[in-house]
Amino acid sequence: MSVDTSTDSETGLVADTLLDDDRAARRWLRGAVGTAAFLVIWQVAAMPVPTFLLPTPIEVARAFVVELTAPATFEVPLTGAEIPLTRLLVNLIDSLYHYIPGLVVGGTAGIAVGIAMGWSDLLNEAVTPVQRVLRPIPPLAWIAFAIVWLGVNHSGAAFIVGIGAFWVNFYNAYAGVEGVTQSSKEVAASLGVDDDLTMIRKVVIPSATPEIMTGIRTSIGQGWMIVVAAELFGAPGIGFQIINAAQNLSLDVSVAYMFVISLVFLVSDGVFRRVERRVLVWRE
Amino acid sequence: MAGVTDAQPVDGKIVVDGVGKRFQSGSGTVEALRGVNFSVQEGEFVCIIGSSGAGKTTLFRIIAGLEEATDGTVWLDGEPIEGPGTDRGMVFQEYGLFPWRTVLGNVAFGLEQREMSKPARRERAERMIDLVGLGEFVDSYPKELSGGMKQRVGIARALAVNPEILLMDEPFGSVDAQTKQRLHAELLDIWRETGKTVMFVTHDVDEAVTLADRVVVLTGSPGSVHEVVDVDLDRPRARTDEAFAEYEERLRDAIG
Repeated sequence: MSVDTSTDSETGLVADTLLDDDRAARRWLRGAVGTAAFLVIWQVAAMPVPTFLLPTPIEVARAFVVELTAPATFEVPLTGAEIPLTRLLVNLIDSLYHYIPGLVVGGTAGIAVGIAMGWSDLLNEAVTPVQRVLRPIPPLAWIAFAIVWLGVNHSGAAFIVGIGAFWVNFYNAYAGVEGVTQSSKEVAASLGVDDDLTMIRKVVIPSATPEIMTGIRTSIGQGWMIVVAAELFGAPGIGFQIINAAQNLSLDVSVAYMFVISLVFLVSDGVFRRVERRVLVWRE
Repeated sequence: MAGVTDAQPVDGKIVVDGVGKRFQSGSGTVEALRGVNFSVQEGEFVCIIGSSGAGKTTLFRIIAGLEEATDGTVWLDGEPIEGPGTDRGMVFQEYGLFPWRTVLGNVAFGLEQREMSKPARRERAERMIDLVGLGEFVDSYPKELSGGMKQRVGIARALAVNPEILLMDEPFGSVDAQTKQRLHAELLDIWRETGKTVMFVTHDVDEAVTLADRVVVLTGSPGSVHEVVDVDLDRPRARTDEAFAEYEERLRDAIG
């Protein structure tokens, strides 16, 4: 039996590639010029004013290096073991100590509840009113409970991050399950899938994966915003350093930590995008 | 239900027995089928043909077990059909492939629902993929395939679980004319090799005369069986044949 395949014409492909290369080079150049201009304007604007009002980029870079190299010890929560590190790393790990558990627990719960509600009409109809009322509440508003139940510490901050991660992941997983086509389910039924659990595992979850991945990626970014906000109340970490340094009028250090957040976000988002591309190779 | 027998009334692999279907919609009741009767013998290739709105797809879905008949019964080997099952392999117009699975993964899907070792599963799936001529594309994703290739995967997937009946709903409705002809020849080869009973829904008279032993013509709204035409032609059938053209004309007249 022969097979009908169609390929794009070779020449068309080559021309497109060249154009893409040109475009990439141009974009890179323009980006570099724009970045340089931004730094120059910032430097010029900041030079005449004192650091505690607006630090220059050079001062920020210097503060960054100091924080990155100044020795500090990290005290492992619960065990009390001490690990010699640097100030920036200690603060970063402090933040990760509530960021990661909050994200993982809140995100997993959100995905699970989203799938359950997307699948079961009964659950959906029973929970929707409560869900509608609770969802608009900003995660940070739950700080009251975090403080009363857990205190201003890793658990308290993780709780707030977890609430944020829950809603984002809940909503995306729910939408993903809602979007599973009737025909996918019918095909699976015709091929012998006759129980809910198999249908969810083999059809619903794979089909909803793009939306679930979007939820995870969104919560990775949003989690950092919540971490910083939660730390403003006193939990240790990068966000706490931003406010703490500003109160000491070391705005250069504050800005350095602001960039640390940005950097960490860019790295984690970049890594996750790669994972996402790999997981979703099948997507059109 | 009054007047409904509790045993299959006539012999046949599939017996459609007084089937009617009404849908409740916002504006009232829509009757899609009324008093549909016909039967299909084992190993037969039967096409169901009719104008749009005559309830072809509704009838397909009832036989598939995806819809319940409001009246009457569809019998399969003397048992009333009560839901989808692996005794009927389904092939849909829009392929219904799982985009997240490769060709192999799609074809093996039904086999995963049974007690079967992984190597055995793989072997059977690969055999089916070879049968439809896609051996080189085992690891491709549906997005990388043309419409005709996708439908070959659909057929291989339906055949993998070794159903007794192949139910096809306008399976070649979305492929170009040339591919369609080739797929007809391939389908007839597979049918001959496997000895399956095939029920094939189409609105294309030419396709029905090319493929079927018998053609069930549904007409009207609600749809019912207008007539059943035996296509008494040797295969392969040539469109240019005079007898072919006569059958075509007869069916076209019947559809109205």
